[in-house]
Amino acid sequence: MIGLGGAVVPGLVLIGLLVELIFKALPAIGYSGLRFLTGSTWNFGADYATPVTTNGLTHLQGEEFGALPQILGTLATSAIALIIAVPVSVGAALLIAERLPRRLAGIAGVFLELLAGVPSVLVGLWGAVTLGPIVARHVSPLIAHTVGRIPGLTGFFGQSTGSGQGLFTSGLLLAVMVIPIIASTSRDLIRGVPVLPREGAVALGMSDFECARKVTLPWIASGILGAVVLGLGRALGETIAVAMVCGVALGSLPTNLYGAMVTIAANIVQNLETAITDPMDISAFAELALALMVITLLTNVVATLLVRRVSGTAIPVGRGL
Amino acid sequence: MPSAAELSATPALRAVDLTLSFGSRAVLSGITADIQNGAVTAVIGPTGSGKTTLLRTFNRMNDKVTGYRHTGDVLLDGRSIWSPAVELMALRRRVGMLFQRANPFPMSIMDNVAAGVRAHKLAKGGEIREIARERLVEVGLWDAVSSRLKDSPFRLSGGQQQLLCLARALAISPEVLLLDEPTSALDPMATESIEKLIRTLVPKITVIIVTHNMAQARRVADRTIFLHQQQLVERGPTQQVFESPAREETARYVSGRFG
Repeated sequence: MIGLGGAVVPGLVLIGLLVELIFKALPAIGYSGLRFLTGSTWNFGADYATPVTTNGLTHLQGEEFGALPQILGTLATSAIALIIAVPVSVGAALLIAERLPRRLAGIAGVFLELLAGVPSVLVGLWGAVTLGPIVARHVSPLIAHTVGRIPGLTGFFGQSTGSGQGLFTSGLLLAVMVIPIIASTSRDLIRGVPVLPREGAVALGMSDFECARKVTLPWIASGILGAVVLGLGRALGETIAVAMVCGVALGSLPTNLYGAMVTIAANIVQNLETAITDPMDISAFAELALALMVITLLTNVVATLLVRRVSGTAIPVGRGL
Repeated sequence: MPSAAELSATPALRAVDLTLSFGSRAVLSGITADIQNGAVTAVIGPTGSGKTTLLRTFNRMNDKVTGYRHTGDVLLDGRSIWSPAVELMALRRRVGMLFQRANPFPMSIMDNVAAGVRAHKLAKGGEIREIARERLVEVGLWDAVSSRLKDSPFRLSGGQQQLLCLARALAISPEVLLLDEPTSALDPMATESIEKLIRTLVPKITVIIVTHNMAQARRVADRTIFLHQQQLVERGPTQQVFESPAREETARYVSGRFG
């Protein structure tokens, strides 16, 4: 019975949550319509003015819920995080699994797991106090003066490099939080690759790098993709650390790598106090939460489809040698 | 073009007083042996006699094993395989290997055969496909796979997978081919086809085969080396080693009294 409960409860909770969110979001959906997805202005309205009624919906004066910057900001920070984290994690996993002496590999593994367990508020504080200024002073100017000079990339990479509170710092910080997840999973997967095909590659005169690229990593491609999805889930939903380094600029589309911006989660945590006094604001937050949930579910579905495609050509699990 | 007599006079590989250990465990002791050019040489001996280690030394597959140490030498065409002038990847192109069990790579059948050719940049595009086709024909796999070259190799039977691995090893035109009990995981039919193939490889390629199967050694090998307790006990033409061995242990082993 307990087993059955364990199987059913998560489903019920998920459905309950979804129903609750939709129900709560209805007024905001009615109020904003498609502007929620296309608009860039987010205004909590005049708290102390008399509420007005439009189309039967009571709301504060000046309220406007354009969530495009937050939706794109959520996607952009996660994308940057993965672009950095995936190669670093897979490289680190290869290093730990294949190159380091056993004892060093063990120590490196412990550090990975510890890093995964650091509370995000701590990571966020480090990001705001240490990483942000380093990014602003050293990293951003470097990128702006190299990549930013390439014609066509000037707009996104070459603009003024900002304060260190913004898109790039957020992505970098998320990468730090996602790397332990992808790296430790990849390391375990690499250790599980049978010796025989790798020896085959070595005996054929392939270098270690070629062996990793052509045999070891393709062997576990679907598993690594799974680890990446896990990391992506973390990056999309990570709240407090991003709120501390993104600058929380509600109206800014992420059109400049260094500029202040905002994610869905960062807005919710940062402005809950403002929103909680007005039912329409809270309804808009419910709609935001719904959007975040849809984004997370969609990426999971896409990833599952990708995993199926990849494992079509690679190794069916359990069919190894 | 050297004559057949000259060819067989120069050994393809020569082990000179080769002694090898992994940590404190001695695995080979004072092995001196010539591997005849263009012939099939079988390495036989009981489990733990060092057969596979000897085979894996010829393409330096042991080098990275923890605690590996050796004294003595192995000469390929008269030059030490550990000489600084010998590039490891190039050595492994010249000395190919087939393993106890098939080990296809996680890529298409075509890419498997092409893998070595690409790694050594021996050919490009259409040439690679032509080489792959030739080798698949050579191992008798072409008809079975020609319509599904882009498919996964893991759906092939065990015997077909091993033939694919043989085609892959042959695609980079090795001079020496090391076979480590290549049929031990295969059924009799697949074993027979591999054995027939081995005979077609000589004299173009020098073949060394480690086998537990006496009958197989007698069927495929021109010459036989018998290892026992890390030492080379006897070597010579296969018929002689099996029918009139010079040493008592050899006689006992080949007649199935131990091992």
